[in-house]
Amino acid sequence: MPAAIVGQTPSLSTFLKSLKTNDVETSTELLISLLKRRQIRNSRPCAIATSQLLLRVVAGERHRDAQKLIERIRNVGCRLVAAQPREMAVGNIVRRILGVVREVAEEDQNPADMSDTSPTKSEPSKLQSALLPTLHAPTACSTPGDVTPSTDFGLDGSQSRPSLHSVNSHAPGMTSLFNILQTPQGRSPIGTPPGGAQTPNTGKKGRDGFEAKEKLDVKAEVIDGIKELIDELEIVDSQIAESALDHIHSNETILTHTSSQTVQRFLMTAARKRKFTVIHAEAYPNDHEATHATIVNGGKKGSGDNEDVDERWRPLTAMGITVILIPDSAVFALMSRINKVILAPHTVMANGSLLAAAGASTIAQTAKVHHVPVVVLSGVYKLCPVYPFDTDGLIEYGDPSKVVPFQDGEFMDKVDVVNPIYDFVDSELVDLYITNLGGHAPSFLYRIVADHYRPEDIDLRAKSDQ
Amino acid sequence: MSAPAPPSTEPAKPDEAKLSPAELKKRAKAEKQARRAAIKGDQPGGESSTSGGNGESGAQAANAIGGPPQKKPQQQKAGQQKQGRQGNQDARGAQGDRGASQQQALPLRRRGSQSGLATADSKKDNKQVELFSHLYTQPRRHTVEGTSKDVHPAVLALGFQFSSYEICGSSARCVAMLLAFKEAIQSYTTPTGTSLPRHLTSHFLSPQIEFLKSCRSISESMGNAIRYLKKIIVEIDPNMPEQEAKAYLCEEMDRFIRERITITDQAIAASACLQIKNGSTVLTYAKSSIVEKTILQAHANGTKFRVIIVDSRPLFEGKHLASSLMSAGLQVEYLPYSGIPHAIKSASLVLLGAHSMLSNGRLQSRVGTASLAMQAQKADIPVIVCCESVKFSGKVALDNIVLNEVAPPEELIPLAPATGPMTADDKAGEDDEERSKVKTLSEWRDIPNLQILNLMYDITPAEYIRMVICEYGSVPPSSVPVVHRLANEGM
Repeated sequence: MPAAIVGQTPSLSTFLKSLKTNDVETSTELLISLLKRRQIRNSRPCAIATSQLLLRVVAGERHRDAQKLIERIRNVGCRLVAAQPREMAVGNIVRRILGVVREVAEEDQNPADMSDTSPTKSEPSKLQSALLPTLHAPTACSTPGDVTPSTDFGLDGSQSRPSLHSVNSHAPGMTSLFNILQTPQGRSPIGTPPGGAQTPNTGKKGRDGFEAKEKLDVKAEVIDGIKELIDELEIVDSQIAESALDHIHSNETILTHTSSQTVQRFLMTAARKRKFTVIHAEAYPNDHEATHATIVNGGKKGSGDNEDVDERWRPLTAMGITVILIPDSAVFALMSRINKVILAPHTVMANGSLLAAAGASTIAQTAKVHHVPVVVLSGVYKLCPVYPFDTDGLIEYGDPSKVVPFQDGEFMDKVDVVNPIYDFVDSELVDLYITNLGGHAPSFLYRIVADHYRPEDIDLRAKSDQ
Repeated sequence: MSAPAPPSTEPAKPDEAKLSPAELKKRAKAEKQARRAAIKGDQPGGESSTSGGNGESGAQAANAIGGPPQKKPQQQKAGQQKQGRQGNQDARGAQGDRGASQQQALPLRRRGSQSGLATADSKKDNKQVELFSHLYTQPRRHTVEGTSKDVHPAVLALGFQFSSYEICGSSARCVAMLLAFKEAIQSYTTPTGTSLPRHLTSHFLSPQIEFLKSCRSISESMGNAIRYLKKIIVEIDPNMPEQEAKAYLCEEMDRFIRERITITDQAIAASACLQIKNGSTVLTYAKSSIVEKTILQAHANGTKFRVIIVDSRPLFEGKHLASSLMSAGLQVEYLPYSGIPHAIKSASLVLLGAHSMLSNGRLQSRVGTASLAMQAQKADIPVIVCCESVKFSGKVALDNIVLNEVAPPEELIPLAPATGPMTADDKAGEDDEERSKVKTLSEWRDIPNLQILNLMYDITPAEYIRMVICEYGSVPPSSVPVVHRLANEGM
């Protein structure tokens, strides 16, 4: 499979190109190796790659049965997640797509089943898992076999699992809590999901009735759903940017950190109408080069596949915005003059805390001390249905040679050089989340998680083990 | 930045005649370059000379005969120091720019020639961060051009060591300054008709101090030392023979260094190393000589502990500390600034050095200290500051803006611009062909509205500091003004 991309550094764009020619299994292996080698990294490229791959998977699937489809997606998803557990966007997308399949399957069966008045027949476990815990939470652990095969934590693959279950005594309570939150989702699939699979649903409803065609439609509807998800990934930045003017006023001083296309886009939108000052912390040593490039040359849309037409964004400076580049260490010195801190997360947890580029925690704490509001811009695809218990386990450590080059042989030999890539930022340090659905308090995020992920998909490994 | 352009190209200077041949030559070169450039733009290598150029080159040749021995080192030095900080050159007039560009690598010249004079002038203004405009008083001096003739060579050398951070750190600079002054005073002779106490301070010492200030603003410890020096000079009996007076002054300065810094450091280290217990993890930031001493002493005492050093751009002082501790056999962990949360998790004690302790109990130290102290305090890790009383100051500060120092922003520009495709982000592949068009940060002066801020210090609020260890004992930050009175004003 690397043969397909000889001569170019493998990256998201080469992967997407190769996706058109390679067969599904090869592409899966390729994506796994790219993820492992971190040649595709950061949330958005991972999300795009995963959704495109799963689109191929579904398209190439012969089985038209929803259950088979779910198993197949789960299978691929597990392998992808296992390849790079800390890129949680991969798992998020897999779960979203599984949700789409279930949605379609329910739509499929509901009209027929409604008349049969046996709704639980087709998917008893799911409804149970949704309903039972609310009724008698203590048994939640054992009853919904789908969600919590808690006896077997063969969980190494997904980062979410260890943290969810690492505190064993809490596990049953937590699981049932999850289900409580997600109950409405299981019960009324029509009302809840925003965006996503809604349009296909209505279309489907109009067309159903033909028993023979139904199976085929499942696949087509799922593909539609995935395409919508891909569209969502593309427009997520502009959706977030739409609310820029609600949050940025004239003459503000805004601090941001590392290079994020979402933040750049947000600030650009505000810059068209208002004048403000941006103070940009450079996130040395991991992202400072990207940050400098963003400041000097402006952003470029992260996904480089078929939208070459995408305008190359101008830097903020070209729009008359004063940008001040500072090293991370100067954040405290300047914080007293800053009106707002805007951060971009790597992953957002269900309780409103987040993982972001190293240095974000220092900035958020400094802002808290100075009572400066911290705003986090995040696409829903970064929202992960995981509650952080073991925060140390979430943090990835990177290449120490970015801190001290390996040429300093003796130094590297005798000194432990550590280079954390991510920081854990607690939810209490964040004042506001802005997603493509609007602005939310950190305490409300669990609700959005419940809207987007099915409880039975939260543990990807669980089902595939059965 | 426009105001204090070093007078390298000012034609009328009273002491022109007294300049060394090397300086004369340099000036001639600069003028020649400027004239040439004005006539036919950018062609420095050409030997064809304009009408004015003839005389100049003649003078240059004449000077070159006597010049070389002195010229070499000076120019080299100047060149070296310019390398990292081309921006300062930009701040000068375009003429000076061209003059400098001849001994310099290409980038300067290109910049000078491409951006028109007018635009360059208009851009210059908004390269200063407005909030800190009061701190951009004068670009740091890196050349001997236009220095007063009275500046002693030892002080000259010291000044450049200051501006290039070869001598860095409040106490080190203070000691180095006193040693240089000692040397300068040795070569001082009182002019007839005046007496040493009346003449020395105002006419001899002031130019030296002014010169040091122009290289880098002086630290609180230096200020205290200078105050002390002036005081003892005034107190000298005017009838005392000059040699005797000079010997007395030198002796006093030695005593000052010994009592206020050397022995004090030992005392503080001895007292601070008691805070390091077996099995503890000491967290420190950047480099402080006294923290280094403390840690080494604790290690020598046989305490088993681990050290975490957090470091920051652009000076990377912590690396020096890490090297020295590692060669002493300590277990050292080294983190970039972004690793503070990681460091806090395992630390049990934070030891900090100081640039200066302010009278409202706040600590002025290397930029970034405050964040570290804040996070340590939140994690209930004691923050201890080691500081000699000579660094205690009568000043007070509430924010980090009024009392600070702005270093040349060019220090923040990565040395090797990242041309190698960092595959980190997926755009690298596509960007390869475009990269020639893509600007890099090193051209930031050409990009309107882009500013780079390189602060030297920040101020840590007193509530983050558990204890200040000085030679008068361990005191809370609220006792700083008392110690300051006792040590620096009661003398």
